[in-house]
Amino acid sequence: MSSHAKAAKKFIADRERTAWHDQALYFVREKRDRMAHGVPEWEALRKTASRMKKHTISNLAYYLEMFERNATANGAHVHWAKDAEEHNRIVYDIIQRHGGKHLIKSKSMLSEECGLTPYLEERGVEAVESDLGERIMQFMGTPPSHIVLPAIHVKREEVGKVFEKELHTEPGNSDPTYLTHAARKALRQNFLNADIAMTGVNFAVASSGAFVVCTNEGNADMGTSFPKVHIAIMGMEKVVPDYDALALYVRLLARSATGQPSTTYTSHYKKPVEGQEMHIVIVDNGRSDILGNPDHVNMLKCLRCGSCINTCPVYRRTGGYSYSYFIPGPIGINLGMLRSPEKYSGNVSACTLCHSCSNVCPAKIDLAEQIYKWRQQLDPLHLASSEKKFIVKGLKLVMEHPAMFYSAIKAGRLAEKMPRFVLYNSLDAWGIGRELPDFAPETFNEMWKKGEVK
Amino acid sequence: MSSRDEILARLKQNAIKPEPRPEADFQPLTFTNPVEQFQKILQVAGANSVLLEKGEDVNEIIRKTYPEAKTIASNLPGINCATVNPDLLEDPRELNGTDVAVIRGEFGVLENGMVWIKQQTRHKALFFISEALVILLNRDNLVNNMHEAYARPGFDDYGYGCFIAGPSKTADIEQALVIGAHGARSVTVILE
Ligand code: SF4
Repeated sequence: MSSHAKAAKKFIADRERTAWHDQALYFVREKRDRMAHGVPEWEALRKTASRMKKHTISNLAYYLEMFERNATANGAHVHWAKDAEEHNRIVYDIIQRHGGKHLIKSKSMLSEECGLTPYLEERGVEAVESDLGERIMQFMGTPPSHIVLPAIHVKREEVGKVFEKELHTEPGNSDPTYLTHAARKALRQNFLNADIAMTGVNFAVASSGAFVVCTNEGNADMGTSFPKVHIAIMGMEKVVPDYDALALYVRLLARSATGQPSTTYTSHYKKPVEGQEMHIVIVDNGRSDILGNPDHVNMLKCLRCGSCINTCPVYRRTGGYSYSYFIPGPIGINLGMLRSPEKYSGNVSACTLCHSCSNVCPAKIDLAEQIYKWRQQLDPLHLASSEKKFIVKGLKLVMEHPAMFYSAIKAGRLAEKMPRFVLYNSLDAWGIGRELPDFAPETFNEMWKKGEVK
Repeated sequence: MSSRDEILARLKQNAIKPEPRPEADFQPLTFTNPVEQFQKILQVAGANSVLLEKGEDVNEIIRKTYPEAKTIASNLPGINCATVNPDLLEDPRELNGTDVAVIRGEFGVLENGMVWIKQQTRHKALFFISEALVILLNRDNLVNNMHEAYARPGFDDYGYGCFIAGPSKTADIEQALVIGAHGARSVTVILE
């Protein structure tokens, strides 16, 4: 059994929670669909965005140097970090130079990737997460289970409980509005008392030296409004050539991520404001190796929108903690394998090859195709499970015999029509190392016969 | 060798075949009734909008919209309902507790309800810390989409700028939408 299947077993033991989680994510996926359908040029937009990324990563050094030049001319300090360790050291050095003790952070997957918060806390610097979801997870002492919706697996009652303890909210009150406003009040003090601000970077505009941070809560902007130092950290792939390119991604990001026409705040930081120091840390940490990996170089196109995660039937039914890499879902399976196949190969089985991820990805990354490639490589890496190999052999047999193939699909279709409790019980495929994909309402063959396909 | 040079050398060594820059081969969204569309999309973003009619006073509208407001911060000429000039404050923390901030938007984007705000006050905190935000916007300054927004002449002329679409919000607790996460709980765009 793969590491994912083992961990998933725990998650799906709670049937109700599994169904609830599944629905919450599907709701976000549907919002994304409505947004996509509202933009007639959506597919052309994705295609151009994808090509623009390819253009950018094929000139990565050029654009990064351009960004550095312009950001420096704007008055920002640009640093380069080879790996997580160097990134953490650079950040800590800046903080120390200013005698900082209280860091206010807005959400950044890169800081998770580098393990920044524990690094700083060991050295006596308090790092407060200001995004509500991240703050909830920080209070709970567990990592986010999703890159855009950190607390998507947490129920309101659980939030109420932890706020009761940490923020002294009314016992038993789990109303989201009440809890959000309690966090607003408490974090306001953190914003006002912080001496260092940190943000991630969604896009870095090479032609201008500006960088863009997107939030709905306004926490990045609140965070950078008071301290004398703003540290922005970015993975190298965040650079975009210019504003024309940026337009593509700003149009795609929020629509894909949360199904909104835009985030509430799309902030453009170019020059440090009066009396403030601005630092930008550009981080490699394995990205230059991805560039040299022709099968997986497309991963550098990722905008971290999370829509591949929302649509993934395996993620929805097993939750973020079933994956051993800190980023779950199709994007995480691939990035984990690029980080370390030895450590993270247990996630590659968490895929039905339904290709839904590849179909929603705003940068048109071939996520499912890449997962398939990893699977092919597991054998030479001696990481394939014998059980999986057996299933693959079985599939091959079915594929080679058309009658068997069609009856297998019919059986699958039947499975989908079964009541939910059956689905989430006896067939809860993810716990037993097998998979239950979403089936189309009609098979292609049926549609063809009825003349619905021309 | 510095990390910078090492990273750049590695990028050059691992470089893939240069891909030409793509041309956008699509016609982006446009709208025939700009003001109507903008009011509609502002609503989607959770913002109010008011069309200022000839002879109407902005100050009256602000007062009427936020009758409870005690502190109104603005450095704009003509905003005589303002009780504080935020530019006279040394420390942006003094803005905490502001009820309404009145600021000027440069242009609005019809496809998503964003308004481009350039830093125009000494402390950018003003845009985020006040309970309510009033944005004055010339109704002729509306663009269809982000392509047009970023292509506006002189766009890059800012130190700090922010596209704001409605009030601060979150859905981090069970995907339930809550207005007023950290920034303004209410946004009113006055179309002049
Ligand atoms: S791989 Fe694509 S869909 Fe997934 S997070 Fe990245 S950009 Fe979004």
